[in-house]
Amino acid sequence: MPTLFPNPEELALILPQIWLAAFGLAILLLDFLLGPRQKWVNAFGALLGVAASGVALWRLRGVHAVGVPGFGGAIVVDPFFVFFGFLFLASTALVILLSVRYLEVEEEHRGEYYALMLFATVGMMFLAAGTDLVVIFVALETMAASFYVLTGYLRRDKRSNEAALKYLLLGAFSSGLLAYGFSVLYGMAGSTRLTEIGYAFRTPSNEIFPVVALVAVAAGLFFKVAAVPFHQWAPDVYEGAPTPVTAYVSVASKAASFAVLMRLFLVVFEPMRANWELLLGGIALATMTWGNLAALTQTNVKRLLAYSSIAHVGYILLGLVAGNETGLKGMAFYLFAYAFMNTGAFAIVILLRRKGVIGDELDDMNGLIYRNPTAAVLMVIFLISLAGIPPTAGFLGKYFIFLSLIESQHYLLAVFAVLYIVPAVYYYFRIVVHMWLREATDATRPAISPAQAVALAACTLVTLGALLYAEPFVRLATYSLLGSVVR
Amino acid sequence: MVSPSYYLTLSAILFGLGVIGFLFKRNIITLFMSIELMLNAVNLAFVTFSRQWGELSGQVYVFFVIIVAAAEAAVGLAIILLLARNRQTLNVERINLLKL
Amino acid sequence: MQFFQDHILSVILFTPTVGAILMLFIRGDRENVHRWMGNLFGMLGFLVSLPLVIRLGENWNTFNPALTDFQFVEDVEWIPSIGARYALGVDGISLLLVLLTTLLGAIAILSSWSAITQRVKEYYILMLLLQTGMLGVFLALDFFLFYVFWEVMLVPMYFLIGVWGSDRRLYAAIKFFLYTLAGSVLMLLAILGMYFTYAQQTGVYTFDIRTLLEAVPGFSPALQQWLFWGLFFAFAIKVPMFPFHTWLPDAHTEAPTAGSVILAGVLLKMGTYGFLRFSVPMLPDAVKEYSQIMVWVSIVAIIYGALVCMMQKDMKKLIAYSSVSHLGFCTLGIFALTPHGLSGSLLQQINHGLSTGALFLIVGVLYERRHTRMIADFGGLSTPMPGFAAIYLIVSLASLGMPLLNGFIGEFTILRGVFEVNKHWAAWGVVGIVLGAAYLLWLYQRVMFGHVTHEENRHLPDLNLREYATLVPLVVLCFWIGIYPKPFFEIIDPPMHRIVNRVNPGYYLVDPVKPLPAPSAETGTTSATPGSAAVPPQEQR
Repeated sequence: MPTLFPNPEELALILPQIWLAAFGLAILLLDFLLGPRQKWVNAFGALLGVAASGVALWRLRGVHAVGVPGFGGAIVVDPFFVFFGFLFLASTALVILLSVRYLEVEEEHRGEYYALMLFATVGMMFLAAGTDLVVIFVALETMAASFYVLTGYLRRDKRSNEAALKYLLLGAFSSGLLAYGFSVLYGMAGSTRLTEIGYAFRTPSNEIFPVVALVAVAAGLFFKVAAVPFHQWAPDVYEGAPTPVTAYVSVASKAASFAVLMRLFLVVFEPMRANWELLLGGIALATMTWGNLAALTQTNVKRLLAYSSIAHVGYILLGLVAGNETGLKGMAFYLFAYAFMNTGAFAIVILLRRKGVIGDELDDMNGLIYRNPTAAVLMVIFLISLAGIPPTAGFLGKYFIFLSLIESQHYLLAVFAVLYIVPAVYYYFRIVVHMWLREATDATRPAISPAQAVALAACTLVTLGALLYAEPFVRLATYSLLGSVVR
Repeated sequence: MVSPSYYLTLSAILFGLGVIGFLFKRNIITLFMSIELMLNAVNLAFVTFSRQWGELSGQVYVFFVIIVAAAEAAVGLAIILLLARNRQTLNVERINLLKL
Repeated sequence: MQFFQDHILSVILFTPTVGAILMLFIRGDRENVHRWMGNLFGMLGFLVSLPLVIRLGENWNTFNPALTDFQFVEDVEWIPSIGARYALGVDGISLLLVLLTTLLGAIAILSSWSAITQRVKEYYILMLLLQTGMLGVFLALDFFLFYVFWEVMLVPMYFLIGVWGSDRRLYAAIKFFLYTLAGSVLMLLAILGMYFTYAQQTGVYTFDIRTLLEAVPGFSPALQQWLFWGLFFAFAIKVPMFPFHTWLPDAHTEAPTAGSVILAGVLLKMGTYGFLRFSVPMLPDAVKEYSQIMVWVSIVAIIYGALVCMMQKDMKKLIAYSSVSHLGFCTLGIFALTPHGLSGSLLQQINHGLSTGALFLIVGVLYERRHTRMIADFGGLSTPMPGFAAIYLIVSLASLGMPLLNGFIGEFTILRGVFEVNKHWAAWGVVGIVLGAAYLLWLYQRVMFGHVTHEENRHLPDLNLREYATLVPLVVLCFWIGIYPKPFFEIIDPPMHRIVNRVNPGYYLVDPVKPLPAPSAETGTTSATPGSAAVPPQEQR
């Protein structure tokens, strides 16, 4: 019998999100009490919130493989959710650490920033846990709205304004498409629960509805992950947003969107696989191609990383095309490795920010090996990992994708996928050339704040460690698939 | 009662109008209205299906969509305000600092 | 000591890494400290590899050529979830290459003492990391590990060329990187194909090279052909085989001296090692199918490389193209698929490493003094630099194949092996030798003989002690292999016989009804029944 107030067991299932929301609200209030020099306390509070949420998530990790449904099947707590939950928390923590110094320089250091990040994380976690169309939609919008504001956070910066506008317009458009697709799914099944929609999909009542639903939902989600041909917003948003937000969007929002993509495609749209596999392969190929080619000519590091990010999306989509266990494991591992190596690369860009200089042009990197050798060396490690060269985590992620393509006999896609590593190395190493082989155009030595140092250390550790001592990380990715996601 | 397919057709038309409006209009406020039109078309579809199946979750969904649309509008108008203040234009084609 | 014996390969592999990590913590402006440490670890790396062949005491096991399996094997779990293990081992094919790597590494580091004056710390760290990468490629017994090391060494090499090279170094560095990378990624697909096919057949997911060496020859010929081409590009680009050689002249010329020594001496051998270790034994059907094409490509490389050498004005570029020509000989020997061809090829690879490494050191000596590599800027240098002239002459003769020196043994053996299969191919090979003599001697004459043509050259200092120390070991080895190659062939021959047995089982078939067992490894001979169809190889050296 439904009661007005949820019982404690069900509340425990969403305890991680509750902690985050509570801390977010607390930070909003706390901010009023803090003087201008004490704003870092907000960051500290946010980190505490992330830690509390992490502890709650840790307690949920021993769940049964099938997963515990909650709230009448609206959400499920399964290994898939636990994995992605930790991924979101880790990237939130990293970005918080990186933001403190950045915001101080920008003189926009306010509590709302951290609160918004925590709210975005709440949205992301519900995205990973959601098995109901309503939950997914609301969670998606929670995350997206937080990101719109964060992107436009630098109120006086025109590029930030513009980026926020573009993100909002295109994001809202894609949400509309997604919602339309959801309406058709609801119409097919008479329920908003994914499992019931999955059943209905196996025996569709007419021909049109599945196709319309697939196209609309796919279009909406491809917008979110910035796959071709819905990628146009990404370079502008990445370039205009404050760099920590860019890092956050490129990593966490992408992972959350992929989590939803995986749940929807593998639970609901699976019976139609023959229809969409080829199309998805084509989109993945186009995404990789466009991302790699466009990145070759960029002079702005953030834009270059944006296009390379699009290329990475192509790789991850290939894992979905393969659709076998290796492919899904590869997607999970890739997203995990990507979180750390991409955040690391953006962290170095963040280092360059100081009064009057945004620090995101290639020329701002000139001579970094002289100005701050550690940063230059770490950047090389991150760039190598992004390109997919051993001994880094990025290589292992790509390894799984390639293996899954071979296992599922998509040989041509495999050949293209491996060959695209070559242009990637070219444009990543353009950054290296500026760092190592050009004279420094300005002689300031970027300093690394303690918080940034912690974040960089964590990123480096995972980027290198996930191959050198890979076993725990691979097991982590395998664990994520134990649940109901995989057929 | 009126057949659901009429409602669905109307919903599809409204949605299509919203998409076209979004793709071809230049004023930001107009773009916003197009998005609202799309979301309301979705609402209509949900209510229709809810009636068809005799199930309430569709109508619940509508409430959430309304809430979300409102929140998005609030955020969006705040951003537009900032833009208008900084740039004195609401023509999307003139807002193109970030170029390829 | 027991630890050392049990883990000697890991020690060899990671000694340079230890040095690199230690150097990370020393400040960059203490240049001499870094020089001493770099050389210390280079030398140490060589010394720890010697116990593979030199007894250290009563219970010490050195490499035993009679054993058919890999030796000094270390095998621990690494990533069980995907079936990758940390497995190291040597056999006759890789042992000499490992020793060559450690020797040339130590020599190359020593030769950089006065040549590198900027960013000294990073230079030595990168050289040491490169050492580890190269050793890993030769020592790995697990495909995943092999691939990791194969790719790992690209990055230090890129930096070595790009930071410390000469004028067009950026272009050469990125060209080297991208070209080699393109081949490597295709190899990754081939490796994954083997891994997955084996798993489909047996249900076991493993990258173990020993297991796959047994299993892959059983794959269908169609699959073998795809795998062959997948592996081919990586190795052909590395060797480099014509027409994938265009990265080599740029990379060798623009790299700093030590970089060129390592590139020519070791990196190129990885391609031929790949053919010998993987392509030929694992994919016998495909290799037999394509061996003719490979032979012709090799011959083109020999002749084309030699002819282009004649036209060069830059000493380093000339020697770079000579590498193309020499390695054409090596691949010719491999794809002749006879025991002599294979053994000669591997020995010639070692020889090439020694003699061409020495040649690059020679050019480096001149470059350090005069900062030019153009032949026209030199002339008559034997007058101010007689010691240099002597060593240079010996090395040139070794490279072109003069008897008493190592090149002759290698080339002769290869030609012997090729002649068995097709006399015309051998004839083309001989043409290559003649051309080789032509360009090398002509170069020597232009640089060393006659009057001193430029005043700046008149007072050039002769070799100093350090430079002698880098060159003399190579010269000594040239003579040793040239005069007494037996111990080297003892190590090389047995695995080559096994390879021939796989690829060309008819080779040892004397009686068509009753096949002969594999030749006994100690003597490497087979007993021949008179009047037999196939002429078995008689090992008489």
